[in-house]
Amino acid sequence: MKCGLEIHVQLETDSKLFCTCRTNYKEAKANSNICHVCLNQPGAKPYPPNKKALDGAIKIALMLGCVISPEVTYFQRKHYDYPDLSSGYQRTSIPIGDQGELNGVRIYDVHIEEDPGQYKPDLGIVDFNRSGIPLIEIVTEPDMKSPEEARKFLRELIRVLEYSGSARGEGTMRADVNISIEGGKRAEIKNINSIKGAYKALQFEMIRQKNLLKRGITIKQETRAFLESQMITVPMRLKEEAEDYRYIPDPDLPPMLAENDRIEKIREEMPEPSHIKTDRFVREYGINKDHAKVITSELELADAFEEVVKFIDPKFAALWMRDDLKRVVYYNKMSFKESEITPAQIVDLLKMLEDKKITAKAGKRIMEKLPKNKEMPSQIAEEMGLIGVVDENIVLKAVKQAVQENPDAVSDYYEGKKNAMNFLIGQVMRLTRGKADPGETHKLLESELKT
Amino acid sequence: MKLLDKSKLIKNHEITALDNLEMFCKNIEKNNGIYNAFLEINKNPALDCAADIDSRIKAGEKVGKLAGMVVGIKSNINVEDFHITAASKTLENYLGSYDATVVKRIKEEDGIIIGMTNMDEFAAGSSTETSYFGHTENPAAMGRIPGGSSGGSAVAVASEMCDLSIGSDTGGSIRNPASHCGVMGFKPTYGAVSRQGLLDLAMSFDQIGSFASEAAGIALMLETIMGFDYKECTTIDWDVPEFTKMIVSDEESSLKGMKLGLVKQFFEVSDDGIVDIIEESIDNMEENGVEVVELSFDYIDLCLPTYYLINYVEFFSATRKYDGRKYGHRIEEVCGDEVLRRIHTGSYISQKEFSGKYYKKALQARSLIRKEITKLLKNVDAIVGPTVPKLPHKIGTSLEPMEMYAYDILTVIANLAGIPAASVKAGEVNGIPVGLQFQAKPLDDDKIVQLMAGFEQINKI
Repeated sequence: MKCGLEIHVQLETDSKLFCTCRTNYKEAKANSNICHVCLNQPGAKPYPPNKKALDGAIKIALMLGCVISPEVTYFQRKHYDYPDLSSGYQRTSIPIGDQGELNGVRIYDVHIEEDPGQYKPDLGIVDFNRSGIPLIEIVTEPDMKSPEEARKFLRELIRVLEYSGSARGEGTMRADVNISIEGGKRAEIKNINSIKGAYKALQFEMIRQKNLLKRGITIKQETRAFLESQMITVPMRLKEEAEDYRYIPDPDLPPMLAENDRIEKIREEMPEPSHIKTDRFVREYGINKDHAKVITSELELADAFEEVVKFIDPKFAALWMRDDLKRVVYYNKMSFKESEITPAQIVDLLKMLEDKKITAKAGKRIMEKLPKNKEMPSQIAEEMGLIGVVDENIVLKAVKQAVQENPDAVSDYYEGKKNAMNFLIGQVMRLTRGKADPGETHKLLESELKT
Repeated sequence: MKLLDKSKLIKNHEITALDNLEMFCKNIEKNNGIYNAFLEINKNPALDCAADIDSRIKAGEKVGKLAGMVVGIKSNINVEDFHITAASKTLENYLGSYDATVVKRIKEEDGIIIGMTNMDEFAAGSSTETSYFGHTENPAAMGRIPGGSSGGSAVAVASEMCDLSIGSDTGGSIRNPASHCGVMGFKPTYGAVSRQGLLDLAMSFDQIGSFASEAAGIALMLETIMGFDYKECTTIDWDVPEFTKMIVSDEESSLKGMKLGLVKQFFEVSDDGIVDIIEESIDNMEENGVEVVELSFDYIDLCLPTYYLINYVEFFSATRKYDGRKYGHRIEEVCGDEVLRRIHTGSYISQKEFSGKYYKKALQARSLIRKEITKLLKNVDAIVGPTVPKLPHKIGTSLEPMEMYAYDILTVIANLAGIPAASVKAGEVNGIPVGLQFQAKPLDDDKIVQLMAGFEQINKI
């Protein structure tokens, strides 16, 4: 199979694309973020396009390796009749960038559009709060060969968008996918709102088409809709009778030129795209690719890693940041940024581990204490009495010694007296001068007593 | 009384804004039933506005340059709380929710807005006969059309129902009725006046301008409404000239040394009676120090098809919002023949399969016309000629679309080229006014005002 994607994501701006209304449409009461411009009332003309949106689109195009159009670009009117469209046409720019590439998938074009309002047929209303919010649309070539590849690409793309700081995330994503399998015709699937949805839609469509072919039925070129609730696709309309959008250049908006200086300034200031950063981490720090991927999944985490490795062996840092730091952050349902953990804290912790001042176990426990905590790990270790490392062999030796030296307690233990265990732990602690981990000791004692 | 004198008297509190307004209101009461120039009059807010201006003048406070001037607005320009119908059933119940930029500026300069004027439905016409609210009479030639589409605004000034009025000009909609009604009408350079708040006919041609019975009125209004508007992307950021400074009492200084171009093809397409009057006027100007050179424009046959193709497509696009969901009626279900013709033709020729054949070709033709006109204007201050090639027909005469469109042949050029143009009364044929048109380079709007003032002077002597 071959599959291509058209992905729309909202750009991150305070005001709409062609007026000064705010873009927090989800929090605002229905039809409260509106004016005559985004309602397209008779006589209303668009204000000049939001510069932040244009710059954001250029930045994302650059991060996707696109060539920015050296020609003038302009907005076109795409006409169609639907209740959510207050003017009867959607303003959509010609490509801002093209010829990009992300993970082996070619980017055909990147452009800007305005979001329509939200039609709610069940309530019989249209909420125009969303009308005029800037969208970026990214169109790929049909370079993905399985639902898995499409999913992988989308994850990567969302990562790039998040990195850019100029786009809203997967939550505002709307995608159309087109798919064709050997012996079939191209089908377009609309209404996809998540990466999982795209994956499920492609999987469903692939199986559906294969089954049709098996039964000797020809596949027609068509547009289908994805029903998220049932994870299936249903026919929308035949492609042959597709709408004619009667594109014309919008006479109310003069052509724009992205000057070279502006492009270069954006290029200088833009973050290194995540997929390129991943490769660089592998090359520069000698860490393995899986670790690099996890660490670069969030820009702030990647930045923190680069700070930490100024003081700590990169492989060691990668191991800890990928496993334990990620685990703790994930457990707290935060992003790394939200956890407010600083590179200095990580360095302090990893130094103690490198210098064998604390056990790995203690390191994990300290890590758990770090989210939203300004204290340094060494201080936490002190407070929790975790400073000091006892070799596991020494603890094991102490366990055996304690069992041997206290047969009464051992028989009490077998009789089910709980105090016996506590007594034995106390003995091990005494023998190791308190550096053994009580929990660990408990486990070691239990397994010793079972044999 | 001359407009600038009146303005001075009001500012000096020798007559009041209220007196001025009451005078017009009486006139409207008496005559609007006959002429149907205004579709809506809103007297009470106007009275409040006049009283406020008078009290500020009395208190010695500064007032705006239009203080006490009574203004009519074409029904396709948004004024808060007025019916902005574009003379169509489509918008019969639509109340303006905001002020167009020009209206804001008129209000800021203490102009008094008295009401909304009649027009061709959605400005798609040159006769004001296609209004859903009935035709407008021509006070200068009763029984004949006043021209259009801003017929109501022209008549409001011609019949003394207001000092000044505002119209829109897409292919002659200000200059055509000015010519037929014997008043002055000015279409500024494209982008000189903000279109924010103007209902679209063809966005790349539409421009707001003014009517007055004398050049001073045009100058006063242009100073008020012109200038950059950051809320309208096609406006030009430039220093607006002080047009009222062009109005001088010495006629010689106004015309002397001006070089005018006379395009012979513009005369070839015009009726003889009209040509005679225009030639006479040009002779008169020559006697007063104007130099005239003959020019040739080979693309006149290209102008109407180019203009109408673009007009249809842009109008089709602009009317998609009237889908029946928000403003009560779906436009195609309630509009008149001409509006429907433009929507259907626009929809047809903008189809994907035809866009290269018609619309894109029209855009290319437009560039060519613009280039040629720029060439013609290079060595002259302005082009002079007739405004309309025909006299206004009798109301109710049925015309084929092409006959109707032929009225526009001399006015569409300025819109195709984006240049400023104006019409002044040159004379009469059998008592029917004939207008003379000046066209100049982009942003040479002040030269046209200067010519209008000079022409006005020599015609009075």
